[in-house]
Amino acid sequence: MAIKGFVRNMKPLEVLTEEQLEAIHSATLHVLRKTGVRFDSKRALQLFEKNGCWVDYDNNRVRFPEGLVEECLRKAPSRFHVKARNPDNDMVWGGNTTYFQALSGTRTVDLDTWEPRTPTRKEYYEAITVLDGLENVSIIPWYTPWFGFQRIPPVMAMPEGLAGRLRNSSKFTCAGYSMGCEVFNIQMAQAVGAELRTMMAASPPLTFYEETIAAAFRIIKAGFVLLPTSGCVYGGTAPATIAGSLVSGNAEIIAGLVFAQLVRPGTRVIAQDFSFPQNMRTGAPAFGAIEISLHQAAFNQIWHRYGIPTDGGVCYPNSKKIDYQAGYEKAIIATIGSLSGTNTIWIQGAMYGELAFHPVQAVIDDDIAGMLGRFLEGIDVTDETLAVDVIDGVGPIPGHYLNRPHTRKWWKKEQFIPKSADRLTHPEWLKQGKKDCIALAREMYEEIRVSHMVNPPLTENQEQDIERILKEARDYYKKRGLISDTEWEEYKKDIASPGYPYR
Amino acid sequence: MEEEKKVILDNLRKAIFDYNNDLAFQSAKKAVEKGIDPIEAMNVMTGAIREIGDAFGKGELWLPDLVGASDAMQSANPVLEEEMKRKGAHRESLGTVVAGTVFGDIHSIGKTMVTTLLTAAGFHVEDIGVNVKSEEFIEAIKKHDANLLAMSALMTTTMTEQEKVIESLKKAGIREKVKVMVGGAAVNDEFAENIGADGYDPTAPGAVEMAKKLLGKK
Repeated sequence: MAIKGFVRNMKPLEVLTEEQLEAIHSATLHVLRKTGVRFDSKRALQLFEKNGCWVDYDNNRVRFPEGLVEECLRKAPSRFHVKARNPDNDMVWGGNTTYFQALSGTRTVDLDTWEPRTPTRKEYYEAITVLDGLENVSIIPWYTPWFGFQRIPPVMAMPEGLAGRLRNSSKFTCAGYSMGCEVFNIQMAQAVGAELRTMMAASPPLTFYEETIAAAFRIIKAGFVLLPTSGCVYGGTAPATIAGSLVSGNAEIIAGLVFAQLVRPGTRVIAQDFSFPQNMRTGAPAFGAIEISLHQAAFNQIWHRYGIPTDGGVCYPNSKKIDYQAGYEKAIIATIGSLSGTNTIWIQGAMYGELAFHPVQAVIDDDIAGMLGRFLEGIDVTDETLAVDVIDGVGPIPGHYLNRPHTRKWWKKEQFIPKSADRLTHPEWLKQGKKDCIALAREMYEEIRVSHMVNPPLTENQEQDIERILKEARDYYKKRGLISDTEWEEYKKDIASPGYPYR
Repeated sequence: MEEEKKVILDNLRKAIFDYNNDLAFQSAKKAVEKGIDPIEAMNVMTGAIREIGDAFGKGELWLPDLVGASDAMQSANPVLEEEMKRKGAHRESLGTVVAGTVFGDIHSIGKTMVTTLLTAAGFHVEDIGVNVKSEEFIEAIKKHDANLLAMSALMTTTMTEQEKVIESLKKAGIREKVKVMVGGAAVNDEFAENIGADGYDPTAPGAVEMAKKLLGKK
């Protein structure tokens, strides 16, 4: 099963007029030139200064000349290939292609009580197996399925998570950075012949911390894909207005992009919109809000103009359960993201913002992805699909089309068939036990969990390399005191447990 | 000869799986020309239809496949039936079913699904079409000496016609002679019971099981 990108065969939705788009672009350049962006890295500051930026070393502030910004936007490729562990799962980013990717959560939930808890290693690995088996998941990114699992020290969550994804999936994956773990992540990816995508996350407003910059230097040097991202919250870490937050967020992303092109011209970047309105009661991001769609649609329109691949379709619901609210929040955001032409929609699995994930939710979301993918592919209009000869052959009643070779040839190409949606007649539904899409998705999850095999599995040598790199990471963090004795005792038991590492 | 017979019967089977009406018709004609037992030829096709029906029941095949296979069989049937009549041969069946969509209703898909699967299961089915009046049902039951009547009605406005047919059967004195099955999107168990039908099932594979049960067949 090769991964599936959906090619949009229609004009993208545009929410900004030409004047509005120009105004946002011009305001962004103004902010970059006048206010500038803070980079907490002497090495980065020197690089910017050498390339014509105005650098204030006392405040780590970089102000960007317009010409440099425009030049770097031109240097970044608008379309590129990325390598997955299995070449059948390689991707081409840019243009009209939209991919769907899984979306992580900090913890799992109990499907009967809806209470959250930390998953086990076995659950973690099995959830990756299910994501690998879902046909519309093209990418299994960082933190996915969960931020970590039981019995491992927090500092090992990212390397262990990446190892889990490489062991149980051959799809394109990503890795984050924290405490220098990107060093180990890069080694693991190289050991299995895959590329990684790693974010370069601004800390809004207008700041990049040292750790982020150090990780970005390493990722760019490794030749991997960089995802400059703004995770601003409008009203909190960006202006409360959508237009203002677009300006502020875009300034951050462009600053990251300029950095990438100065370190290594031609570095492959994808611009990501990871922003939300502020929930003015709880202070949390307002996941599932409709303003996210306005923001993402405008973002996608602006970055299409820049000719940079986009990641503007993050679909977090606010619901704590797999329910109607989760369904409409995800479906609306994913629909608008798709129509506005993003190259990536994050959808499968997440519940309650970034705070929960469940593979059963991923099964249902995979159907939303399939439905939208089908829509994006549009209407095929050819002599054969116009079917004039078939219409003539069938004529009026008693003619019908069910028995026509044309029907058998085309109906499956034309219709998307959901896997977990209830499509029975009312009497059949009663007879089969009144199963809703959640019950059907639970069955499907179980089927994939038991039967899906990663293709190909890691070779013995690759597995040894992964284990060796994990050991180096464990030793490194232990030596630096980032794994406590108590954590280490528990971790050792996990590593020594029967069946480890549950491949 | 044996080799030739094998090729002809294989082609009949292939015609069903390829939904190929021409191949079905031509192979049936060749079977008759070469003196192949028409019952054996018929059994090859019903065997193939049974496999298609099973795959449909499991959700592996779809309505266009079922209808395509049924059409292929319908292309060959008249040729083989004619030969059976000529030879005075009789094919064992689980029972004779008269099937039709009731008066005022021209929907045929549900009926086709049921008749295809009934045929596959080994029933002899006389499909008398759509928009069928009470008297036409009665005439067909008498003519074919049927022991099961299967009526379809898709719409709420035509489902009541099923009750009228049952009343007509009583008036004609043949209600006890046939078991009556009703089906259609608007029908349910309660309605079937209220109008005095003997059986109802919401699915086509379920209707076959119901037919066997009503006629006391396993």
